Amino acid sequence: MKKRFVSSVLALIAVLCLGVTVHAAEKKPIVIGHIHSMSGALSMYGISSEAGGSIAIEEINAAGGILGRPLKMITRDDKANPEVGLREAKDLVISENADFLTGTVSSAVGMAVSSFAKKEKIIFMPSNAQSSRMTEDEFHPYIFRIATNSVVYWGYAPAIALANTKKVKKIISLGWEYETGKTALKQFKEKYLEMVPDAQIIDELWAPLGTTDYTAYINKIKNSGADAFYLAAVYGGGELAFTKQADSFGLYDQMLAIQPCAGDIESWYTVTKGGPFPKAALATTRYPFWAIDNPRSKVFVEKYKNKVGQYPSYGAMNHYNTIYALKAGIEKAGAVDTEKIIKALEGLTLDTLIGKVQIRAYDHQAMMPTWYGTMDYAEGLPFPHVVKVTPIGEEGYHTIEQIKKLRESK
Amino acid sequence: MTFVSFFSQFISGISVGLVLFLIAAGLSLIFGTMRVLNLAHGTFFMVGSFLCFAFSSLFANSSGSFWWALLFAPIGVALIGGILEVLLLRRIYNQDMLYQYILTFALILILGDGLKYFFGVSFKTIEVPWPLGGSVSFWGMSFPIYNLFLIVCGIAIFIFMLALMRYTKLGRIVRAVTLNRDMANALGINVPLVYTGVFMLGCYLAGLAGALMPPMSVVALGADMHVIIECFIIVVIGGLGSLSGAFIGAVILGFLNSFGILVMPKLAVAFPFMLMIFILIVRPHGLMGKPE
Amino acid sequence: MRGKVKKDFLTYLSRADLWLVLAGIATLLVLPSVLSKSWVSLLIEMMIMALAGCSLNLIVGYGGMVSFGPAGLYGAGAYTTAILLSRYGLPFPLAVLAAPIMAGLVGAVVGWFCVRRNAVYFALLTLAFSQIIWTVIFQWYDFTNGDNGIIGVPIPDYVSSITRSYYFIVVITLFCIFLMWRMVNSPFGITIQSIRENPLRSEFISVAVRRYQLSLFVVSSVFLGVSGALYCVFAGSVFPDYAHWAKSTDMLIVCLLGGLHSFAGPIVGSIVYIFLSKTIAKGTTYWMFYLGMIIAFLVLFMRGGIVGFANEKLAWILNRRNGARRGGER
Repeated sequence: MKKRFVSSVLALIAVLCLGVTVHAAEKKPIVIGHIHSMSGALSMYGISSEAGGSIAIEEINAAGGILGRPLKMITRDDKANPEVGLREAKDLVISENADFLTGTVSSAVGMAVSSFAKKEKIIFMPSNAQSSRMTEDEFHPYIFRIATNSVVYWGYAPAIALANTKKVKKIISLGWEYETGKTALKQFKEKYLEMVPDAQIIDELWAPLGTTDYTAYINKIKNSGADAFYLAAVYGGGELAFTKQADSFGLYDQMLAIQPCAGDIESWYTVTKGGPFPKAALATTRYPFWAIDNPRSKVFVEKYKNKVGQYPSYGAMNHYNTIYALKAGIEKAGAVDTEKIIKALEGLTLDTLIGKVQIRAYDHQAMMPTWYGTMDYAEGLPFPHVVKVTPIGEEGYHTIEQIKKLRESK
Repeated sequence: MTFVSFFSQFISGISVGLVLFLIAAGLSLIFGTMRVLNLAHGTFFMVGSFLCFAFSSLFANSSGSFWWALLFAPIGVALIGGILEVLLLRRIYNQDMLYQYILTFALILILGDGLKYFFGVSFKTIEVPWPLGGSVSFWGMSFPIYNLFLIVCGIAIFIFMLALMRYTKLGRIVRAVTLNRDMANALGINVPLVYTGVFMLGCYLAGLAGALMPPMSVVALGADMHVIIECFIIVVIGGLGSLSGAFIGAVILGFLNSFGILVMPKLAVAFPFMLMIFILIVRPHGLMGKPE
Repeated sequence: MRGKVKKDFLTYLSRADLWLVLAGIATLLVLPSVLSKSWVSLLIEMMIMALAGCSLNLIVGYGGMVSFGPAGLYGAGAYTTAILLSRYGLPFPLAVLAAPIMAGLVGAVVGWFCVRRNAVYFALLTLAFSQIIWTVIFQWYDFTNGDNGIIGVPIPDYVSSITRSYYFIVVITLFCIFLMWRMVNSPFGITIQSIRENPLRSEFISVAVRRYQLSLFVVSSVFLGVSGALYCVFAGSVFPDYAHWAKSTDMLIVCLLGGLHSFAGPIVGSIVYIFLSKTIAKGTTYWMFYLGMIIAFLVLFMRGGIVGFANEKLAWILNRRNGARRGGER
């Protein structure tokens, strides 16, 4: 009798242990390694991306997770340095068992993490870094981008916007001297000169990456005789410094400004009405939440404001959409299996905060739209923004033929 | 290029150069007197910027908040510098050059992260203060008033410092200690006090530059690295230990930076370094310095 | 530099030192089989940094010349290997061998300019040259890939896995350190130290001071080039920051932490520094603050570094023991 009792107790304990293990295995979280710039000049992009992602994760976990498993995000600082970003990516995969990688804003870091993702066969979804090379000539199957890329952001969208509004003939450009800057100007020229063939870029000025003193360049722009100036990949604190200095020199009154990045509100959080801002500049924006009539978006804006104390930028929206895209992919694939998820994501139509967007299978790029307009202050929002917006869709991206040519010429 | 555009390019280069002069003057003064190359001088500049932001937020409700900040921020930096000098730097004056460098480098790390702790990582801005907003036009060129104000400030402080060093008793004491420390000590001058005072003065100048800069730029972490390199170039060109050397060096650097981008944009970044190397080889004590 | 020529930790133990070194080498060779990949990876970084630190220590500790620019030579070596492998597809041994040669050439040019000046001017010159090298790497996008760095450098299979690269790097590092050890104990090394102690007097006994200093600079550059190449092999990628003056300060800290006046100093310093930077940096956002405090502490209270500190304590213990044995005789 005692023997039977003991063995049944043991059996019960064994079953309990098994149950707990199975339960624990089921509850083992899906780990998302989020590498972003959390310190330094680009930190506001990192902070907004992390906040946007955690809102998505909170919502998903509250609804039961993905395939019964909760999501967990581990954030690491890449310090806008590809060496550091690569190290963190390695650490996230080796030590923290990350299942997916997201984030990065500096294209150099994005490219470095992308090549690591290719080697390790792990899915990487850059939510901020715009370099089109990641999905074009440096493409590999493990990369997916639920965000715009540099072709649209710096090149085609501003070019289309300019061609549709004020077909200026003489443009002078100022950019940061690094690959993103050079590519930005190249893409802009490519599209604009196609649409307005008799226009010309009369001069190209290059400042070292991260410059905060533009007085000499602004002077040169003022004396150049151009009708407009174009900023190539100047953003964040550097853009704000430029704007302040350009405003004090009266540059915005003298010529039209084409400032693609001005539509992203990170640069203007600290600006107050009456202070310098890119007056009447032609800008593009990726998340004009004030003009988007989507109930989910409105909820997101509220949640974000409560969480961070500021309005959300496109970086936050991108990461939110990216996490939900991952959810859609995993659920369609039925398992956390990289190859199956890749197949599931290709061609999938996502339900994002700005409407339905499809992931193009050829380059794993979601056809996220961009809007353009002129910068001004308006009722209801304390920072300058693009008040009246006009959308640009798939025409802002390279066509499949163009990408094919780029990949073949590599 | 027309005369007008040449002149405006020149003026814009000078206005930034003179802010750098303030920092370089402090660096040169400290080196001249104490033979310490303060690597953290750019960081004191950055502390000045952040303190300026802090004070102007503190006084945000009263008018002229920037002017209060301009008054208090450099004093704050001088105090921090004084404390650090007494606690840390004093102990290494007799030591080898390497230890001085490494210690001042440690200050960069400590102060930098200290700022990160108190102010966070995002950049800050300050508006151009009331009477100095807007621009003036002459000869068909419009020029921001604030930049002209910076030029005036830089020149005024240069003249003031020259007068201080040459004509006042304080200046004489500092010069005595610079020339012959032991003799000055023997004559009853409290040398450690003079060292602390000079260091504080140097930090005050860096802090002043830090407070003057934000209205036309942004306040951000990491500015110290860029600034200290520019200051090295200035003091090498002008001569370590020479005040007028720092002024001339700053003017030359401002000139180089603004015309480099016009004339030879590709090489413009390397130009200052090449000039620094040239001076170090040909005339290491700089244009105005005294040979060792 | 007015440092005392302290006896090295190793020479204290006479016969035992050889056994110690052999035991150390044996441990190094065995470790990959018992440690996890991330630890082996850490060890590799420590060894490469130790090699770089020892190379720098040749000019700073033994030569008494403070350089702010070792990263420029390190970066030159790393980029030489990376570019030869990825752009020109040279065979691996050639690409690795080319790095110290290139670094040596660059070092010869830079050194020729720099050794003409002393003390603070020498330091500033090395800084200026190092920054020029960084600028060239950063700007020359077509050749060096600029700020993107060169990623995915084709490393052949026989050195690409963590374990295989570990053995490759261990062998080369030990060989280089051995060469440096022989050099500092040779007449050349003794002459260099005499120049450090009193350059004027050395010149009086017809030592061609500048020529020795330049040779030392070139030798140091060669070994820095090797460490750069090794890091390229380890990481499979190179970035302009390899040549930035921040990296130079890392190397200086490693030397200082371990002890400038000893040969083994940078080795000890590298192990401690890399270990601290990996563990502390993970736990806090204010790693720079802690590092600054550690450095300040070192400079104020432990100028001889860890090895110097250990030497003092060991000397104290040994003296007490000897004193007691000899019955209190001084």
